Amino acid sequence: MNDDSTDPLDEQLAKARRGERAALTLLVQTHQRSIYSLALRMLGTRDLAEDLTQEVFMQMNGNLSAIDSNRHLGFWLRQVTSNRAIDQLRRRARVQLTSLDEEPQLFSAEEASDPLLQRHLRALLADLSPPARAVLLLRYQEDLDPVEIARTLDMPLNTVKSHLKRSLESMREKTASVMRPMRCEGSSYE
Amino acid sequence: MRQCISLWLFALLAPALALAAPNPKLAIPSFSALAQKATESVTITLDPGLLGLAAKFLDSNDPQEAATQEVLKGLQGIYVRSYTFDKDSVYQQSDIDAVRSQLAAPGWNRLVETRSRKTHADVDIYIMVDHNQAVGLALIASEPRQFTIVNIVGAIDLDKLHKLEGQFGVPKLDIDASKGTQAPSK
Amino acid sequence: MSEDIESQMRAALRAVAPREEFTQKLVANVTSRPAAPRRPRRFAAGWRPLAWWFSASLAASVVLAVGVHQHLQQQRLQQSGLEARREVLEALRVTSQKLNLAYEAVKSQSTSLTDEQSGA
Repeated sequence: MNDDSTDPLDEQLAKARRGERAALTLLVQTHQRSIYSLALRMLGTRDLAEDLTQEVFMQMNGNLSAIDSNRHLGFWLRQVTSNRAIDQLRRRARVQLTSLDEEPQLFSAEEASDPLLQRHLRALLADLSPPARAVLLLRYQEDLDPVEIARTLDMPLNTVKSHLKRSLESMREKTASVMRPMRCEGSSYE
Repeated sequence: MRQCISLWLFALLAPALALAAPNPKLAIPSFSALAQKATESVTITLDPGLLGLAAKFLDSNDPQEAATQEVLKGLQGIYVRSYTFDKDSVYQQSDIDAVRSQLAAPGWNRLVETRSRKTHADVDIYIMVDHNQAVGLALIASEPRQFTIVNIVGAIDLDKLHKLEGQFGVPKLDIDASKGTQAPSK
Repeated sequence: MSEDIESQMRAALRAVAPREEFTQKLVANVTSRPAAPRRPRRFAAGWRPLAWWFSASLAASVVLAVGVHQHLQQQRLQQSGLEARREVLEALRVTSQKLNLAYEAVKSQSTSLTDEQSGA
C-alpha cells in the first residue's frame, strides 16, 4: 500500500548497503521489536528468541544487496524469522508454552489488566502447530493480510485462511463464557 | 534403601579406580525407529571443533554464557539424545540397555541413582575418572513418556559445573563428603 | 463478536521490546561484521578510455567474486557458530533439567528420611 519511494528508510537501506553503520543501526532498531516478538511468541522463551533474532539480523547484514526497499526488508525479515522458527520447533524438543509464567513479556503490557485473555491466548498458542502459530502471529501481530501471509510462509492461501478461521473459532470458544457476563453486567471478569 | 552418592564421593573413589584407558565417549545408537514414533526429539552432537566454534560465539559479558565458556574449556564432546512420546511405554528399557551396558565397563562409576515414585522418573548419573580428573559424564533419565541420554566427554571441571547453579536451572547438588547418600528405592 | 476478538488479539499481540542489554549487543554484533559487498560503481562517462574501463570492470568483477566468496564463507561460519552456540546452550539446558530431576528425588527422599528419624 505504501509507496516505496516515499519511505524514508529506503535511503537508510541504501546507506547501510554502502556500509554506513548508523544506517544499519537504525534499520536494526526499526525492525528488531517486531522480529523479536515474532521469535518470542513462536519459540516461547526469551533465550531462544534472542538467539534467533540475532541470527536473522546477522543474516540480513549479509543479504542487504539483494533487498530493494525497507518494505522488502520487512517482508524478508518476517519470512526468515517465521521459517527458521518453524524449522527449530520441528527439530527441537517441545517448547512448553504452558510455562509462560516465566515470560512476562510474551504479551503486550497494555493487556496486563486482562489476565484471562492472556491465559486464553497462551493456551491457544500452545495448542497450535508451528505453521498455524506463525499464521496467527503474522496476522494479528504483524497485521499482514492472508495473501501476504501466504507469500511470507510460502503456504497456499486456503491453508492460511483455514488456520485463521480455526484459531478464531478456538478463541471464540474460550472467551465466550467470559464475554457474555461482561456485556450483561458491565463488570470485570471477577 | 539406596541413597544418593554425593558428587565429591568420586574424589574418595578415584585412587582406588583402575586407571586403564577407558573411553568416556559412549556409542549411542541412532534410535531411528524410536525417533519416528517420537513427538519431539533432541539430537545434539558437538565434537571438539563445534565446541570451540560455539565458545567463540558465547558472550563473555553475559554471566550465563561466561559460565558456559568456562565449563566448555577442556571438553571434547557433548552428545544429547532425548525423545518424547505421546503415550507411555512406547520405548522399552531394553532400548536403552545398549547404552547402560557400556556404563558397566571399567572406568565408569555410578554417582547417582534415583528412582522417584512421585515423578516416575529414574535418573542415573555416571562419572569416569582418570588421574583424579573427571573425564566423562553420562546421564540416563527415563520417564514414562520420555528418555534422555547425555554424554559429556573431556576434562569436566566439577567446580565450574557447580558454578552453573542458578543458570539453566542447574540445581545445587549437595557436595557434603561426610554424607554417604544413595538414591531412594522404587 | 469476531471483530471484538480480533481487536483483542491485535492488542494482546502488539510487539514487545527485547531487553535493552540484548538490543545493545545485537546492534554491536550486527554492525561489527563487514557489510554486504558493495556493487561496482559506474565510472563517469568520457573520463576513461574504453579499454581501461573494460579491464577495470573485469578486475573489479574478479575482486568482487573473491570478496563475495569470502564473505559467504564468513557468513556460513557465523551461522555455524551461532547454531553451535545454540546447541551448547540447549544441551546444557537438557542436562540441567535431568540433574534437577535427580536432585528433587534426592531432596524428597532426604526430607522423608529426616522426618522418619525425628519421629522415631
